[in-house]
Amino acid sequence: MNFSPLSLLVVLLALAFTLATNLMPTAGNWSQRAKSDNLFGMVFGDGRKLFANHFFTMADVYFHSGYYPSVFDQKSGEEKEIISASHGRKETEEDEKNEDFLGRPKDWIDAFGRNFRITRHTHLENHNEREILPWLRLAADLDPNKIETYTVGAFFLREHLGRADQAEAFLREGLRNNPDSAEILFELGRVYHESNHNLDRARNVWQLGVKKFLLRAPDQQKEDKLLFEELVANLGRLEDEAGNYPAAINWLRAAQKVSPAPDALQRQIDDIQKKAGAQVPATPAKLY
Amino acid sequence: MNKIFALAGVVIKELYRRKDFYVLFVLTALLTLAAGAVNFFHDDKIVRYVKDICLLLIWVSALVISVVTTARQIPAEREARTIFPLLAKPVSRWHVIVGKFLGCWLATGVALVVFYFFFAAITGSKEQIWPWGAYLEAVWMHWVMLAIVIAMVLLGSIYFAAPSSTSTITIIVVGGVLLLGTHLNTIALQQPQPMQSILATVYFLMPHLEWYDLRDFVVYDMGLVPVRAVALATLYGAVWTAIFLLLAWFGFRRKSLNT
Amino acid sequence: MTAILRTEKLRVEYRSREMRQQTKVALAGLDLEVGAGEVFGFLGPNGAGKTTTMNILLGFVPLTSGSASLFGIDVRQPIARQRIGYLPELTYYYKFLTAEELLRFYAKIFGLARHEADQRIAELLKLVELEHAAKRPIKSYSKGMQQRVGLAQSLINNPDLLILDEPTSGLDPLGRMKVREIIQRLKEQGKTVFFSSHELGEVETVCDRVAIVHQGELKAVGTVAEITAGHENLEKAFLKIVGVQNSPLP
Repeated sequence: MNFSPLSLLVVLLALAFTLATNLMPTAGNWSQRAKSDNLFGMVFGDGRKLFANHFFTMADVYFHSGYYPSVFDQKSGEEKEIISASHGRKETEEDEKNEDFLGRPKDWIDAFGRNFRITRHTHLENHNEREILPWLRLAADLDPNKIETYTVGAFFLREHLGRADQAEAFLREGLRNNPDSAEILFELGRVYHESNHNLDRARNVWQLGVKKFLLRAPDQQKEDKLLFEELVANLGRLEDEAGNYPAAINWLRAAQKVSPAPDALQRQIDDIQKKAGAQVPATPAKLY
Repeated sequence: MNKIFALAGVVIKELYRRKDFYVLFVLTALLTLAAGAVNFFHDDKIVRYVKDICLLLIWVSALVISVVTTARQIPAEREARTIFPLLAKPVSRWHVIVGKFLGCWLATGVALVVFYFFFAAITGSKEQIWPWGAYLEAVWMHWVMLAIVIAMVLLGSIYFAAPSSTSTITIIVVGGVLLLGTHLNTIALQQPQPMQSILATVYFLMPHLEWYDLRDFVVYDMGLVPVRAVALATLYGAVWTAIFLLLAWFGFRRKSLNT
Repeated sequence: MTAILRTEKLRVEYRSREMRQQTKVALAGLDLEVGAGEVFGFLGPNGAGKTTTMNILLGFVPLTSGSASLFGIDVRQPIARQRIGYLPELTYYYKFLTAEELLRFYAKIFGLARHEADQRIAELLKLVELEHAAKRPIKSYSKGMQQRVGLAQSLINNPDLLILDEPTSGLDPLGRMKVREIIQRLKEQGKTVFFSSHELGEVETVCDRVAIVHQGELKAVGTVAEITAGHENLEKAFLKIVGVQNSPLP
């Protein structure tokens, strides 16, 4: 056997080509990464979810202008912030106290080092909230199934930046990726209700949200009962606004069953009952 | 001082005649411009992420330039044997150490100024504001930190013959200090003995490079760091730089250099 | 005669890795004296201790015992090297610099004023015939040109003592002639030249005095005439002194 270098090269190339054509049909199954339809999926594989979480946290860091606990400062049960903000809840004084994660300086190095760290707890305001958006966009691209990314992004776009159109588009994208998400449907309903004042579309979306919610496993429903409360309570207020008082009361009574503050809902029901008079049925109708 | 400045001049000439700086600058510029060109939610006023990315790239580039440039200085002098005609002149080894340090530090300073001007141009064009005070503090603190790093690398280059070993070790150490410097005491408290005492000792004895990172103040427009704190940090940086340079000299002064 | 280069009982020992850290004696009590205005040839076979002696004089390696001084100043003091020029055997210069920049750098090291440096650089570039290439990076030079840059840098401070390590090694005949000419010119100017070489013929023609070292010890020192007395030439004398009776070559 006496091969010239050129003939050897030709043989090797032919072998590589033959192997490629034979292996190609099966190679696709070796990795999920190769099947991914977006660039991030291709590059990072499942690791992209880690990056998505990181970028989601970055949005929170930006919201606090860098005043944010590191993994070494964090105490358990301290993740929330944007998520609570997305539900429109103002931070309480207790929350503020919890945010003092730095505590007293441990030593002179720590004390002096604080000159070079952000040590003031602030929130973005005056439309500077826009600064968190790139991280949410990246988080959504990296993990399209992370629901909070869409709801938080939409909340800030709509509530703080007055960009209901962008909020709706972002939520629609989220809904395409997560068609069963009651959370996204809830936030979408708020866009229609609070920003577009389109009661019909808001009603449809929220009702679809309730349906999707009720398809969840009982344990999951129990865990997410506050979402259910928000959905049905908002539907109640919407129907009140539309003059459909029996339906409004029906939704509010459903909310009462899971609400941590049933008395407040009762007061709303009483008010509607006064307005509605005889229209209100004595027993609540079934939701679906 | 003439000898030290003459030595420093050669280092600066070497830096701008090599391609490292240009490659890193172009890379930083391209990545920043690419990041800045992305449109998020049709909002063209979003700027902080561009500042963040650009500053991160500047930090990485400056670290790479300073470490790589410094790490090869003395080994290259020995390998190319340029150290012999140099030491045959009335130049002491202390002059060599200080001259190399000054050259690398000044060269890195020039690189920093170029990088930060680019940063100011890019972010200023988006925000229409130029907080020069904050920029000046950030550049100064960054430069002081690089003085410590350069002195540390010079020390390493006396003991490790291969510049790659010195560079790798220094980058790991600097990265570790920047990431964990603030938290090492907290981590120490969570460890059993004797690890607790070891980590606590390291915490008190290591140079706290993380103080010099004022990126957050620039990115989040958080104003200025008190001048007194900057001055004290500068003094602290100068002390650590002097310690590393002295240690480097101790190692270098008795080293046999056979032709 | 004023001695401007002096070693007394100079001893250098070092631990050799090849010898499993055993102590090796490189110089065993070398006594040497070079007077002002002399051209002094320093000879010896490979490993005799020539390079070690030069390394001591230039402060590259520490001495174990004894003393070495230049112009009466201990060689461990950098100032002892203020009035010397050194040309290494091979060219070791910053290749990213031009010849002019390299000479300016060394001029700064010696603290020459700018106008003085300009004048000196112009003179030296002319002397070594590199005016045309002064602004080109050294990395683009031929070997001979690099050696000429080396010679120029060794003269930048107008030294009173020139230490040359195998100055003609690797040069073509023209280059060698040029170096010999320069040594001759320096001698005429009253400068002292201390150089090592394996070119015994060259040593014979330019040196006033010669020292021969072998195994770290001084075996002979004197004028060329004194060393060659009773021998056909310096080469025969050298071979006898270092213990080789008959040249292995015909």
